[in-house]
Amino acid sequence: MAIVAAVTFGALLVAIVCGLVIGPTSIPTWRLVGELFAHVGIGHNTLTPLQWDVVWQIRGPRMVIGLLAGSMLAVAGGTYQGVFRNPLADPYLLGVAAGAGLGATFAIIDISHGVGTPTWTPLLAFVGAMGAVIVTWLIGGRSMRSNTATLILAGVAVASLLTSAQTFLQQQSSANSITRVYIWLLGSLASAGWGTVWLVFPYVIVCIIICVGAGRALDVMSVGEDESRSLGVPVRRVRFVVIAASSLGTAAIVSAVGLVGFVGIIVPHIVRLLVGTSYRRILPISVIFGAAFLVFADTVARTVIAPSELPLGVVTALIGAPVFVIILSLRRPVAV
Amino acid sequence: MSSVEVRELSVRAGAKELISNVTLAFEPGTWSTVIGPNGAGKTTLVETIAGLRQPSHGSVSILGHSLATMNERERALRVALVPQHPVVPSGMSVYDYVALGRVAHHGLFHPPSVGDRKIVESVLERLSLVGFRDRDGATLSGGERQRMVLARALTQSTMVVVLDEPITGLDLRHQMDMLELMKHEVHECGLTVVATLHDLTLAGQFADRLVLLDLGEVVLDGTAAVVIRSDELAKRYGMNLRVVDVDGSDVVVPVRHEST
Repeated sequence: MAIVAAVTFGALLVAIVCGLVIGPTSIPTWRLVGELFAHVGIGHNTLTPLQWDVVWQIRGPRMVIGLLAGSMLAVAGGTYQGVFRNPLADPYLLGVAAGAGLGATFAIIDISHGVGTPTWTPLLAFVGAMGAVIVTWLIGGRSMRSNTATLILAGVAVASLLTSAQTFLQQQSSANSITRVYIWLLGSLASAGWGTVWLVFPYVIVCIIICVGAGRALDVMSVGEDESRSLGVPVRRVRFVVIAASSLGTAAIVSAVGLVGFVGIIVPHIVRLLVGTSYRRILPISVIFGAAFLVFADTVARTVIAPSELPLGVVTALIGAPVFVIILSLRRPVAV
Repeated sequence: MSSVEVRELSVRAGAKELISNVTLAFEPGTWSTVIGPNGAGKTTLVETIAGLRQPSHGSVSILGHSLATMNERERALRVALVPQHPVVPSGMSVYDYVALGRVAHHGLFHPPSVGDRKIVESVLERLSLVGFRDRDGATLSGGERQRMVLARALTQSTMVVVLDEPITGLDLRHQMDMLELMKHEVHECGLTVVATLHDLTLAGQFADRLVLLDLGEVVLDGTAAVVIRSDELAKRYGMNLRVVDVDGSDVVVPVRHEST
Protein backbone atom coordinates (compact mmCIF):
# COMPACT_ATOMS: atom_id res chain seq x y z
CA MET A 1 0.00 0.00 0.00
CA ALA A 2 2.73 2.49 1.01
CA ILE A 3 4.70 1.65 -2.14
CA VAL A 4 1.65 2.05 -4.36
CA ALA A 5 0.84 5.38 -2.69
CA ALA A 6 4.42 6.62 -3.15
CA VAL A 7 4.59 5.52 -6.79
CA THR A 8 1.19 7.05 -7.54
CA PHE A 9 2.22 10.29 -5.91
CA GLY A 10 5.46 10.28 -7.89
CA ALA A 11 3.45 9.72 -11.08
CA LEU A 12 1.29 12.69 -10.15
CA LEU A 13 4.34 14.96 -9.78
CA VAL A 14 5.72 13.77 -13.12
CA ALA A 15 2.31 14.33 -14.77
CA ILE A 16 2.12 17.85 -13.34
CA VAL A 17 5.60 18.77 -14.54
CA CYS A 18 4.94 17.25 -17.99
CA GLY A 19 1.64 19.07 -18.15
CA LEU A 20 3.39 22.37 -17.55
CA VAL A 21 6.55 22.01 -19.64
CA ILE A 22 5.39 20.06 -22.70
CA GLY A 23 3.73 21.92 -25.55
CA PRO A 24 4.39 24.19 -28.52
CA THR A 25 6.23 26.64 -26.25
CA SER A 26 8.70 24.34 -24.63
CA ILE A 27 9.80 25.27 -21.15
CA PRO A 28 12.92 23.71 -19.62
CA THR A 29 12.08 21.84 -16.44
CA TRP A 30 14.75 23.65 -14.41
CA ARG A 31 13.22 26.99 -15.36
CA LEU A 32 9.80 25.80 -14.29
CA VAL A 33 11.19 24.61 -10.95
CA GLY A 34 12.96 27.95 -10.50
CA GLU A 35 9.72 29.76 -11.25
CA LEU A 36 7.79 27.66 -8.75
CA PHE A 37 10.36 28.48 -6.07
CA ALA A 38 10.25 32.16 -7.04
CA HIS A 39 6.50 32.02 -6.68
CA VAL A 40 6.81 31.11 -3.02
CA GLY A 41 9.51 33.75 -2.44
CA ILE A 42 12.71 31.73 -2.93
CA GLY A 43 15.01 32.97 -5.68
CA HIS A 44 13.73 34.99 -8.61
CA ASN A 45 11.77 34.57 -11.80
CA THR A 46 13.56 32.45 -14.41
CA LEU A 47 10.92 32.44 -17.14
CA THR A 48 10.63 34.73 -20.15
CA PRO A 49 7.38 36.76 -20.21
CA LEU A 50 5.96 34.43 -22.88
CA GLN A 51 6.85 31.34 -20.88
CA TRP A 52 5.38 32.96 -17.76
CA ASP A 53 2.09 33.56 -19.56
CA VAL A 54 2.03 30.03 -20.92
CA VAL A 55 2.64 28.51 -17.48
CA TRP A 56 0.38 30.72 -15.40
CA GLN A 57 -2.40 31.67 -17.80
CA ILE A 58 -2.75 28.68 -20.11
CA ARG A 59 -1.24 25.44 -18.87
CA GLY A 60 -1.59 26.22 -15.14
CA PRO A 61 -5.38 26.50 -14.92
CA ARG A 62 -5.75 23.73 -17.48
CA MET A 63 -3.61 21.46 -15.36
CA VAL A 64 -5.45 22.32 -12.14
CA ILE A 65 -8.85 21.65 -13.69
CA GLY A 66 -7.40 18.38 -14.99
CA LEU A 67 -6.30 17.45 -11.47
CA LEU A 68 -9.72 18.29 -10.07
CA ALA A 69 -11.59 16.48 -12.85
CA GLY A 70 -9.43 13.37 -12.67
CA SER A 71 -9.67 13.15 -8.88
CA MET A 72 -13.38 13.78 -8.76
CA LEU A 73 -14.37 11.40 -11.55
CA ALA A 74 -12.13 8.64 -10.21
CA VAL A 75 -13.30 8.93 -6.61
CA ALA A 76 -16.95 9.26 -7.68
CA GLY A 77 -16.62 6.11 -9.79
CA GLY A 78 -15.02 4.21 -6.91
CA THR A 79 -17.71 5.43 -4.53
CA TYR A 80 -20.52 4.46 -6.90
CA GLN A 81 -19.00 1.01 -7.34
CA GLY A 82 -18.96 0.64 -3.57
CA VAL A 83 -22.39 2.00 -2.83
CA PHE A 84 -24.07 0.01 -5.61
CA ARG A 85 -21.81 -3.01 -5.10
CA ASN A 86 -21.55 -3.09 -8.86
CA PRO A 87 -18.26 -3.16 -10.77
CA LEU A 88 -19.87 -1.53 -13.82
CA ALA A 89 -20.98 1.58 -11.93
CA ASP A 90 -19.45 4.84 -13.10
CA PRO A 91 -20.11 8.47 -12.16
CA TYR A 92 -22.60 8.81 -15.01
CA LEU A 93 -24.78 5.93 -13.78
CA LEU A 94 -27.66 8.02 -12.47
CA GLY A 95 -28.08 10.24 -15.50
CA VAL A 96 -25.45 12.96 -14.87
CA ALA A 97 -24.02 12.59 -18.37
CA ALA A 98 -27.35 12.54 -20.17
CA GLY A 99 -28.64 15.49 -18.14
CA ALA A 100 -25.51 17.52 -18.75
CA GLY A 101 -25.60 16.56 -22.42
CA LEU A 102 -29.16 17.77 -22.79
CA GLY A 103 -28.40 21.00 -20.91
CA ALA A 104 -25.37 21.72 -23.06
CA THR A 105 -27.21 20.82 -26.27
CA PHE A 106 -30.02 23.15 -25.31
CA ALA A 107 -27.55 25.95 -24.63
CA ILE A 108 -25.61 25.44 -27.85
CA ILE A 109 -28.55 24.86 -30.19
CA ASP A 110 -31.48 26.79 -28.78
CA ILE A 111 -29.85 29.73 -27.08
CA SER A 112 -27.00 30.52 -29.43
CA HIS A 113 -28.57 28.82 -32.49
CA GLY A 114 -25.32 27.10 -33.24
CA VAL A 115 -23.26 30.28 -33.59
CA GLY A 116 -20.94 29.48 -30.72
CA THR A 117 -20.66 27.67 -27.44
CA PRO A 118 -22.31 30.18 -25.14
CA THR A 119 -21.19 31.04 -21.64
CA TRP A 120 -24.48 29.56 -20.50
CA THR A 121 -23.35 26.10 -21.46
CA PRO A 122 -21.70 25.08 -18.16
CA LEU A 123 -24.60 26.41 -16.11
CA LEU A 124 -27.23 24.60 -18.16
CA ALA A 125 -25.11 21.45 -18.22
CA PHE A 126 -24.87 21.62 -14.44
CA VAL A 127 -28.61 22.16 -14.05
CA GLY A 128 -29.30 19.29 -16.45
CA ALA A 129 -26.91 16.97 -14.62
CA MET A 130 -28.27 17.67 -11.15
CA GLY A 131 -31.86 17.65 -12.43
CA ALA A 132 -31.33 14.19 -13.92
CA VAL A 133 -29.89 12.78 -10.69
CA ILE A 134 -32.67 14.29 -8.61
CA VAL A 135 -35.37 12.85 -10.89
CA THR A 136 -33.62 9.45 -10.82
CA TRP A 137 -33.51 9.58 -7.02
CA LEU A 138 -37.17 10.56 -6.77
CA ILE A 139 -38.17 7.63 -8.96
CA GLY A 140 -35.82 4.96 -7.66
CA GLY A 141 -34.76 6.16 -4.23
CA ARG A 142 -37.87 5.16 -2.36
CA SER A 143 -37.43 1.46 -2.94
CA MET A 144 -33.77 1.63 -1.91
CA ARG A 145 -34.60 -0.37 1.17
CA SER A 146 -34.66 -3.64 -0.67
CA ASN A 147 -31.89 -3.10 -3.18
CA THR A 148 -30.19 -0.54 -5.34
CA ALA A 149 -31.22 -2.13 -8.63
CA THR A 150 -34.33 0.06 -8.85
CA LEU A 151 -32.22 3.18 -8.58
CA ILE A 152 -29.87 1.97 -11.30
CA LEU A 153 -32.82 1.12 -13.55
CA ALA A 154 -34.37 4.52 -12.85
CA GLY A 155 -31.02 6.03 -13.91
CA VAL A 156 -31.11 4.04 -17.13
CA ALA A 157 -34.68 5.20 -17.85
CA VAL A 158 -33.95 8.86 -17.09
CA ALA A 159 -30.74 8.76 -19.15
CA SER A 160 -32.55 7.22 -22.14
CA LEU A 161 -35.30 9.81 -21.96
CA LEU A 162 -32.87 12.73 -21.76
CA THR A 163 -30.67 11.30 -24.50
CA SER A 164 -33.65 10.96 -26.81
CA ALA A 165 -34.64 14.56 -26.05
CA GLN A 166 -31.09 15.61 -26.84
CA THR A 167 -31.11 13.64 -30.10
CA PHE A 168 -34.39 15.33 -31.03
CA LEU A 169 -32.89 18.78 -30.43
CA GLN A 170 -29.85 17.87 -32.50
CA GLN A 171 -31.98 16.50 -35.30
CA GLN A 172 -33.80 19.85 -35.50
CA SER A 173 -30.60 21.86 -35.80
CA SER A 174 -27.79 22.57 -38.22
CA ALA A 175 -24.76 20.40 -38.86
CA ASN A 176 -22.55 23.13 -37.46
CA SER A 177 -24.23 23.15 -34.09
CA ILE A 178 -24.26 19.34 -33.97
CA THR A 179 -20.49 19.46 -34.38
CA ARG A 180 -20.22 21.89 -31.49
CA VAL A 181 -22.39 19.69 -29.30
CA TYR A 182 -20.32 16.70 -30.28
CA ILE A 183 -17.07 18.45 -29.41
CA TRP A 184 -18.49 19.47 -26.06
CA LEU A 185 -19.68 15.93 -25.35
CA LEU A 186 -16.24 14.47 -25.91
CA GLY A 187 -14.79 16.65 -23.19
CA SER A 188 -11.91 19.08 -23.24
CA LEU A 189 -9.89 21.10 -20.78
CA ALA A 190 -8.97 23.64 -23.48
CA SER A 191 -11.32 26.39 -22.42
CA ALA A 192 -10.47 26.16 -18.72
CA GLY A 193 -9.20 29.32 -17.08
CA TRP A 194 -8.71 30.28 -13.46
CA GLY A 195 -12.35 31.42 -13.36
CA THR A 196 -13.52 27.86 -14.07
CA VAL A 197 -11.06 26.50 -11.53
CA TRP A 198 -12.35 28.71 -8.72
CA LEU A 199 -15.94 28.05 -9.71
CA VAL A 200 -15.73 24.28 -9.32
CA PHE A 201 -12.96 24.09 -6.72
CA PRO A 202 -15.08 24.38 -3.53
CA TYR A 203 -17.69 21.83 -4.68
CA VAL A 204 -15.15 19.36 -5.87
CA ILE A 205 -12.91 19.52 -2.80
CA VAL A 206 -15.83 19.10 -0.40
CA CYS A 207 -17.26 16.23 -2.48
CA ILE A 208 -13.88 14.46 -2.66
CA ILE A 209 -13.46 14.75 1.13
CA ILE A 210 -16.93 13.29 1.74
CA CYS A 211 -16.35 10.41 -0.67
CA VAL A 212 -12.94 9.53 0.75
CA GLY A 213 -14.33 9.81 4.29
CA ALA A 214 -17.00 7.25 3.43
CA GLY A 215 -14.37 4.55 2.80
CA ARG A 216 -14.89 2.71 6.07
CA ALA A 217 -18.68 2.80 5.70
CA LEU A 218 -18.41 1.42 2.15
CA ASP A 219 -16.16 -1.38 3.42
CA VAL A 220 -18.83 -2.42 5.91
CA MET A 221 -21.55 -2.04 3.28
CA SER A 222 -19.82 -4.64 1.11
CA VAL A 223 -21.64 -7.23 3.24
CA GLY A 224 -25.00 -5.98 2.00
CA GLU A 225 -27.67 -3.72 3.39
CA ASP A 226 -29.21 -5.83 6.15
CA GLU A 227 -25.93 -7.04 7.56
CA SER A 228 -24.34 -3.61 7.53
CA ARG A 229 -27.34 -2.20 9.36
CA SER A 230 -27.02 -4.95 11.95
CA LEU A 231 -23.36 -3.94 12.30
CA GLY A 232 -24.41 -0.38 13.11
CA VAL A 233 -24.17 1.47 9.77
CA PRO A 234 -27.03 3.85 8.91
CA VAL A 235 -27.02 2.50 5.36
CA ARG A 236 -29.66 4.72 3.85
CA ARG A 237 -28.16 7.91 5.21
CA VAL A 238 -24.66 6.96 4.10
CA ARG A 239 -25.98 6.08 0.67
CA PHE A 240 -27.80 9.36 0.29
CA VAL A 241 -24.85 11.50 1.40
CA VAL A 242 -22.36 9.60 -0.70
CA ILE A 243 -24.50 9.57 -3.85
CA ALA A 244 -25.28 13.26 -3.39
CA ALA A 245 -21.59 14.15 -3.00
CA SER A 246 -20.45 12.02 -5.95
CA SER A 247 -23.20 13.38 -8.18
CA LEU A 248 -22.71 17.01 -7.22
CA GLY A 249 -18.95 16.83 -7.73
CA THR A 250 -19.36 15.00 -11.03
CA ALA A 251 -21.97 17.50 -12.23
CA ALA A 252 -19.63 20.39 -11.39
CA ILE A 253 -16.78 18.76 -13.31
CA VAL A 254 -18.91 17.77 -16.28
CA SER A 255 -20.30 21.28 -16.59
CA ALA A 256 -16.75 22.63 -16.66
CA VAL A 257 -14.99 20.17 -18.96
CA GLY A 258 -17.69 18.14 -20.73
CA LEU A 259 -18.12 14.41 -20.66
CA VAL A 260 -14.76 12.86 -20.02
CA GLY A 261 -15.44 9.16 -20.12
CA PHE A 262 -13.60 6.14 -18.81
CA VAL A 263 -11.73 7.77 -15.91
CA GLY A 264 -14.50 7.04 -13.44
CA ILE A 265 -14.73 3.38 -14.26
CA ILE A 266 -11.17 2.46 -15.10
CA VAL A 267 -9.14 4.29 -12.44
CA PRO A 268 -10.86 2.73 -9.39
CA HIS A 269 -10.51 -0.71 -11.00
CA ILE A 270 -6.81 -0.26 -11.68
CA VAL A 271 -6.34 0.95 -8.11
CA ARG A 272 -8.38 -1.99 -6.77
CA LEU A 273 -6.12 -4.41 -8.61
CA LEU A 274 -3.09 -2.73 -7.02
CA VAL A 275 -4.21 -2.21 -3.42
CA GLY A 276 -7.01 -4.73 -2.79
CA THR A 277 -10.69 -4.36 -2.13
CA SER A 278 -10.80 -1.98 0.85
CA TYR A 279 -12.38 1.36 -0.03
CA ARG A 280 -10.27 2.99 2.68
CA ARG A 281 -7.33 2.38 0.34
CA ILE A 282 -9.07 2.47 -3.05
CA LEU A 283 -10.65 5.92 -2.67
CA PRO A 284 -7.67 8.03 -1.55
CA ILE A 285 -5.34 6.34 -4.06
CA SER A 286 -7.97 6.85 -6.79
CA VAL A 287 -7.93 10.58 -6.04
CA ILE A 288 -4.19 10.79 -6.74
CA PHE A 289 -4.21 8.26 -9.57
CA GLY A 290 -7.19 9.89 -11.28
CA ALA A 291 -5.54 13.31 -11.12
CA ALA A 292 -2.27 12.01 -12.54
CA PHE A 293 -4.05 10.00 -15.22
CA LEU A 294 -6.18 12.86 -16.49
CA VAL A 295 -3.36 15.43 -16.54
CA PHE A 296 -1.22 12.95 -18.43
CA ALA A 297 -4.07 12.17 -20.86
CA ASP A 298 -4.63 15.88 -21.43
CA THR A 299 -0.95 16.44 -22.16
CA VAL A 300 -1.19 13.72 -24.78
CA ALA A 301 -4.48 15.11 -26.11
CA ARG A 302 -3.06 18.56 -26.75
CA THR A 303 0.36 17.57 -28.10
CA VAL A 304 0.13 14.56 -30.44
CA ILE A 305 -1.63 16.37 -33.28
CA ALA A 306 -0.71 19.93 -32.23
CA PRO A 307 -1.76 22.61 -32.98
CA SER A 308 -5.16 20.90 -33.00
CA GLU A 309 -6.26 18.65 -30.14
CA LEU A 310 -7.60 15.17 -29.68
CA PRO A 311 -10.80 14.92 -27.65
CA LEU A 312 -9.87 14.13 -24.06
CA GLY A 313 -12.40 11.29 -23.80
CA VAL A 314 -10.76 9.56 -26.76
CA VAL A 315 -7.34 9.74 -25.13
CA THR A 316 -8.52 8.51 -21.73
CA ALA A 317 -10.04 5.46 -23.41
CA LEU A 318 -7.06 4.93 -25.74
CA ILE A 319 -4.59 4.94 -22.85
CA GLY A 320 -6.85 3.59 -20.15
CA ALA A 321 -8.19 0.50 -21.90
CA PRO A 322 -4.83 -1.10 -22.75
CA VAL A 323 -3.36 -0.24 -19.33
CA PHE A 324 -6.39 -1.79 -17.69
CA VAL A 325 -6.18 -4.92 -19.81
CA ILE A 326 -2.48 -5.33 -19.03
CA ILE A 327 -3.02 -5.00 -15.28
CA LEU A 328 -6.06 -7.27 -15.45
CA SER A 329 -4.06 -9.99 -17.16
CA LEU A 330 -1.18 -9.66 -14.69
CA ARG A 331 -3.31 -9.86 -11.57
CA ARG A 332 -6.09 -12.19 -10.54
CA PRO A 333 -9.28 -10.20 -10.95
CA VAL A 334 -10.81 -9.17 -7.65
CA ALA A 335 -14.52 -8.66 -7.26
CA VAL A 336 -16.01 -5.44 -5.91
CA MET B 1 -35.29 -7.92 33.66
CA SER B 2 -35.60 -9.99 30.52
CA SER B 3 -32.90 -9.57 27.88
CA VAL B 4 -35.39 -9.48 25.07
CA GLU B 5 -39.04 -8.63 25.41
CA VAL B 6 -41.36 -9.01 22.47
CA ARG B 7 -44.74 -7.45 23.16
CA GLU B 8 -47.84 -7.95 21.01
CA LEU B 9 -45.64 -7.97 17.95
CA SER B 10 -47.15 -7.97 14.47
CA VAL B 11 -45.15 -7.56 11.28
CA ARG B 12 -46.71 -7.04 7.86
CA ALA B 13 -45.37 -7.27 4.35
CA GLY B 14 -47.91 -5.38 2.26
CA ALA B 15 -51.32 -6.81 3.10
CA LYS B 16 -49.95 -10.08 4.44
CA GLU B 17 -49.38 -10.41 8.17
CA LEU B 18 -46.18 -12.41 8.69
CA ILE B 19 -46.27 -12.31 12.50
CA SER B 20 -49.45 -11.81 14.50
CA ASN B 21 -49.59 -10.65 18.06
CA VAL B 22 -46.53 -12.47 19.37
CA THR B 23 -45.54 -11.90 23.00
CA LEU B 24 -42.35 -13.54 24.28
CA ALA B 25 -39.62 -12.82 26.81
CA PHE B 26 -36.10 -14.23 26.68
CA GLU B 27 -33.97 -14.41 29.81
CA PRO B 28 -30.21 -13.80 30.14
CA GLY B 29 -28.01 -16.86 29.79
CA THR B 30 -30.60 -18.88 27.92
CA TRP B 31 -30.79 -20.34 24.47
CA SER B 32 -34.19 -20.27 22.83
CA THR B 33 -34.87 -21.70 19.42
CA VAL B 34 -37.80 -20.81 17.24
CA ILE B 35 -39.04 -23.76 15.19
CA GLY B 36 -41.87 -24.20 12.76
CA PRO B 37 -42.62 -25.17 9.16
CA ASN B 38 -41.51 -23.05 6.20
CA GLY B 39 -43.39 -19.78 6.08
CA ALA B 40 -44.19 -19.87 9.80
CA GLY B 41 -42.54 -16.47 10.32
CA LYS B 42 -39.35 -17.62 12.10
CA THR B 43 -36.95 -15.47 10.10
CA THR B 44 -39.32 -12.49 10.29
CA LEU B 45 -39.44 -12.82 14.07
CA VAL B 46 -35.69 -13.01 14.58
CA GLU B 47 -35.01 -10.27 12.03
CA THR B 48 -37.42 -8.02 13.89
CA ILE B 49 -35.63 -8.79 17.15
CA ALA B 50 -32.38 -7.87 15.37
CA GLY B 51 -33.96 -4.57 14.34
CA LEU B 52 -34.00 -5.23 10.60
CA ARG B 53 -37.78 -5.10 10.24
CA GLN B 54 -40.27 -2.56 11.46
CA PRO B 55 -43.17 -3.91 13.54
CA SER B 56 -46.60 -2.92 12.25
CA HIS B 57 -47.81 -3.24 15.82
CA GLY B 58 -46.23 -3.94 19.19
CA SER B 59 -42.61 -3.57 20.22
CA VAL B 60 -39.30 -5.25 20.87
CA SER B 61 -37.11 -4.21 23.80
CA ILE B 62 -33.54 -5.23 24.43
CA LEU B 63 -32.45 -4.96 28.07
CA GLY B 64 -35.36 -2.64 28.77
CA HIS B 65 -34.76 -0.26 25.85
CA SER B 66 -37.19 -0.20 22.96
CA LEU B 67 -35.58 -0.94 19.58
CA ALA B 68 -37.79 1.68 17.96
CA THR B 69 -36.00 4.48 19.83
CA MET B 70 -32.51 3.31 18.84
CA ASN B 71 -30.45 4.17 15.78
CA GLU B 72 -28.46 1.50 13.94
CA ARG B 73 -25.36 1.99 16.04
CA GLU B 74 -27.12 1.79 19.40
CA ARG B 75 -28.86 -1.35 18.22
CA ALA B 76 -25.63 -2.94 17.03
CA LEU B 77 -24.19 -2.43 20.53
CA ARG B 78 -27.04 -4.50 22.00
CA VAL B 79 -27.90 -7.22 19.52
CA ALA B 80 -25.78 -9.13 16.99
CA LEU B 81 -27.04 -11.19 14.08
CA VAL B 82 -25.74 -14.28 12.33
CA PRO B 83 -27.80 -14.17 9.12
CA GLN B 84 -29.13 -17.12 7.21
CA HIS B 85 -27.26 -16.22 4.02
CA PRO B 86 -24.29 -14.07 5.00
CA VAL B 87 -22.64 -12.02 2.26
CA VAL B 88 -18.91 -12.71 2.32
CA PRO B 89 -17.21 -10.17 0.05
CA SER B 90 -14.38 -11.63 -1.97
CA GLY B 91 -10.99 -10.11 -1.28
CA MET B 92 -11.70 -9.29 2.36
CA SER B 93 -9.45 -11.08 4.84
CA VAL B 94 -10.89 -13.13 7.69
CA TYR B 95 -9.43 -10.65 10.18
CA ASP B 96 -10.99 -7.63 8.45
CA TYR B 97 -14.33 -9.42 8.18
CA VAL B 98 -14.40 -10.36 11.86
CA ALA B 99 -13.28 -6.83 12.79
CA LEU B 100 -16.44 -5.44 11.14
CA GLY B 101 -18.15 -6.46 14.37
CA ARG B 102 -16.29 -3.64 16.14
CA VAL B 103 -17.50 -0.85 13.83
CA ALA B 104 -20.38 0.06 16.12
CA HIS B 105 -17.86 0.51 18.95
CA HIS B 106 -15.21 2.64 17.24
CA GLY B 107 -17.48 4.36 14.72
CA LEU B 108 -17.24 4.94 10.99
CA PHE B 109 -14.68 7.73 11.20
CA HIS B 110 -12.21 6.23 13.66
CA PRO B 111 -9.85 3.31 13.28
CA PRO B 112 -10.22 0.37 15.67
CA SER B 113 -8.59 1.01 19.06
CA VAL B 114 -6.07 -1.30 20.72
CA GLY B 115 -8.98 -2.66 22.80
CA ASP B 116 -11.00 -3.37 19.65
CA ARG B 117 -8.09 -5.26 18.14
CA LYS B 118 -7.59 -7.30 21.30
CA ILE B 119 -11.22 -8.38 21.25
CA VAL B 120 -10.94 -9.42 17.60
CA GLU B 121 -7.79 -11.42 18.38
CA SER B 122 -9.38 -13.16 21.34
CA VAL B 123 -12.49 -14.14 19.38
CA LEU B 124 -10.33 -15.44 16.51
CA GLU B 125 -8.50 -17.56 19.05
CA ARG B 126 -11.65 -18.85 20.76
CA LEU B 127 -13.11 -19.91 17.43
CA SER B 128 -9.85 -21.43 16.13
CA LEU B 129 -9.61 -18.93 13.30
CA VAL B 130 -6.12 -17.60 14.03
CA GLY B 131 -4.60 -19.70 11.25
CA PHE B 132 -7.00 -18.18 8.73
CA ARG B 133 -6.66 -14.54 9.71
CA ASP B 134 -5.04 -13.38 6.45
CA ARG B 135 -7.01 -15.72 4.17
CA ASP B 136 -9.61 -14.30 1.80
CA GLY B 137 -12.89 -15.03 3.62
CA ALA B 138 -14.58 -16.00 0.36
CA THR B 139 -12.16 -18.93 -0.10
CA LEU B 140 -13.03 -20.64 3.19
CA SER B 141 -15.00 -23.88 3.37
CA GLY B 142 -18.62 -23.78 4.54
CA GLY B 143 -17.80 -24.65 8.14
CA GLU B 144 -14.91 -22.21 8.41
CA ARG B 145 -16.95 -19.50 6.81
CA GLN B 146 -19.83 -19.96 9.21
CA ARG B 147 -17.38 -19.86 12.13
CA MET B 148 -16.06 -16.58 10.76
CA VAL B 149 -19.58 -15.13 10.59
CA LEU B 150 -20.20 -16.23 14.17
CA ALA B 151 -16.88 -14.63 15.15
CA ARG B 152 -18.04 -11.33 13.66
CA ALA B 153 -21.23 -11.48 15.71
CA LEU B 154 -19.28 -12.27 18.90
CA THR B 155 -16.86 -9.35 18.40
CA GLN B 156 -19.86 -7.08 18.57
CA SER B 157 -19.76 -7.93 22.31
CA THR B 158 -23.53 -7.79 22.65
CA MET B 159 -25.52 -9.57 25.34
CA VAL B 160 -28.07 -10.75 22.78
CA VAL B 161 -27.15 -12.81 19.72
CA VAL B 162 -29.67 -13.78 17.06
CA LEU B 163 -28.87 -16.80 14.90
CA ASP B 164 -30.96 -17.33 11.78
CA GLU B 165 -30.43 -20.91 10.57
CA PRO B 166 -26.73 -20.77 11.44
CA ILE B 167 -25.97 -24.32 10.26
CA THR B 168 -27.55 -24.28 6.81
CA GLY B 169 -25.34 -26.09 4.33
CA LEU B 170 -22.95 -27.56 6.88
CA ASP B 171 -22.20 -31.26 7.25
CA LEU B 172 -23.23 -33.04 10.46
CA ARG B 173 -19.95 -32.59 12.26
CA HIS B 174 -19.72 -28.92 11.44
CA GLN B 175 -23.35 -28.44 12.48
CA MET B 176 -22.55 -29.90 15.89
CA ASP B 177 -19.27 -27.96 16.16
CA MET B 178 -20.97 -24.69 15.36
CA LEU B 179 -23.78 -25.20 17.87
CA GLU B 180 -21.36 -26.42 20.57
CA LEU B 181 -19.25 -23.30 20.09
CA MET B 182 -22.28 -21.11 20.52
CA LYS B 183 -23.54 -23.10 23.50
CA HIS B 184 -20.15 -22.63 25.12
CA GLU B 185 -20.38 -18.86 24.60
CA VAL B 186 -23.85 -18.82 26.15
CA HIS B 187 -22.53 -20.49 29.26
CA GLU B 188 -19.25 -18.60 29.48
CA CYS B 189 -20.57 -15.11 28.83
CA GLY B 190 -24.19 -15.35 29.89
CA LEU B 191 -25.42 -14.47 26.41
CA THR B 192 -29.03 -14.60 25.39
CA VAL B 193 -29.39 -16.55 22.16
CA VAL B 194 -32.48 -16.52 20.02
CA ALA B 195 -32.09 -18.89 17.08
CA THR B 196 -34.08 -20.47 14.32
CA LEU B 197 -33.33 -24.05 13.29
CA HIS B 198 -34.91 -26.48 10.88
CA ASP B 199 -33.35 -29.56 12.43
CA LEU B 200 -35.71 -30.47 15.27
CA THR B 201 -33.30 -32.93 16.89
CA LEU B 202 -30.53 -30.36 17.12
CA ALA B 203 -33.04 -27.70 18.12
CA GLY B 204 -34.16 -29.89 20.99
CA GLN B 205 -30.64 -30.82 22.07
CA PHE B 206 -29.16 -27.35 22.13
CA ALA B 207 -31.99 -25.08 23.22
CA ASP B 208 -33.19 -24.50 26.76
CA ARG B 209 -36.51 -23.55 25.32
CA LEU B 210 -38.38 -24.10 22.08
CA VAL B 211 -40.98 -21.80 20.58
CA LEU B 212 -43.14 -23.41 17.91
CA LEU B 213 -44.40 -20.87 15.43
CA ASP B 214 -47.00 -21.52 12.74
CA LEU B 215 -48.69 -19.05 10.41
CA GLY B 216 -47.12 -16.19 12.35
CA GLU B 217 -48.49 -17.21 15.73
CA VAL B 218 -46.93 -18.88 18.74
CA VAL B 219 -48.45 -22.36 18.99
CA LEU B 220 -46.29 -23.87 21.70
CA ASP B 221 -43.70 -22.45 24.04
CA GLY B 222 -41.86 -24.52 26.63
CA THR B 223 -38.81 -26.56 27.50
CA ALA B 224 -37.28 -28.54 24.67
CA ALA B 225 -38.42 -31.91 26.06
CA VAL B 226 -42.05 -30.81 26.28
CA VAL B 227 -42.30 -29.16 22.87
CA ILE B 228 -40.45 -31.94 21.03
CA ARG B 229 -42.76 -34.60 22.46
CA SER B 230 -45.96 -32.68 21.84
CA ASP B 231 -48.54 -34.00 19.35
CA GLU B 232 -48.96 -30.45 18.13
CA LEU B 233 -45.50 -30.54 16.55
CA ALA B 234 -46.36 -33.27 14.05
CA LYS B 235 -49.70 -31.64 13.35
CA ARG B 236 -48.14 -28.29 12.53
CA TYR B 237 -45.55 -29.86 10.26
CA GLY B 238 -48.32 -31.95 8.67
CA MET B 239 -46.46 -35.23 8.91
CA ASN B 240 -45.71 -38.28 11.02
CA LEU B 241 -42.98 -37.64 13.55
CA ARG B 242 -41.56 -40.07 16.08
CA VAL B 243 -39.41 -39.05 19.00
CA VAL B 244 -36.86 -41.69 19.94
CA ASP B 245 -34.76 -41.65 23.05
CA VAL B 246 -31.12 -42.28 22.16
CA ASP B 247 -28.81 -42.36 25.17
CA GLY B 248 -31.03 -39.90 27.00
CA SER B 249 -31.36 -37.47 24.07
CA ASP B 250 -34.53 -36.95 22.10
CA VAL B 251 -34.15 -37.66 18.41
CA VAL B 252 -36.95 -36.58 16.09
CA VAL B 253 -37.48 -38.95 13.18
CA PRO B 254 -39.84 -38.32 10.27
CA VAL B 255 -41.89 -41.37 9.30
CA ARG B 256 -43.14 -41.81 5.76
CA HIS B 257 -46.91 -41.92 5.35
CA GLU B 258 -48.15 -45.41 4.45
CA SER B 259 -49.24 -45.40 0.82
CA THR B 260 -52.75 -46.67 0.40
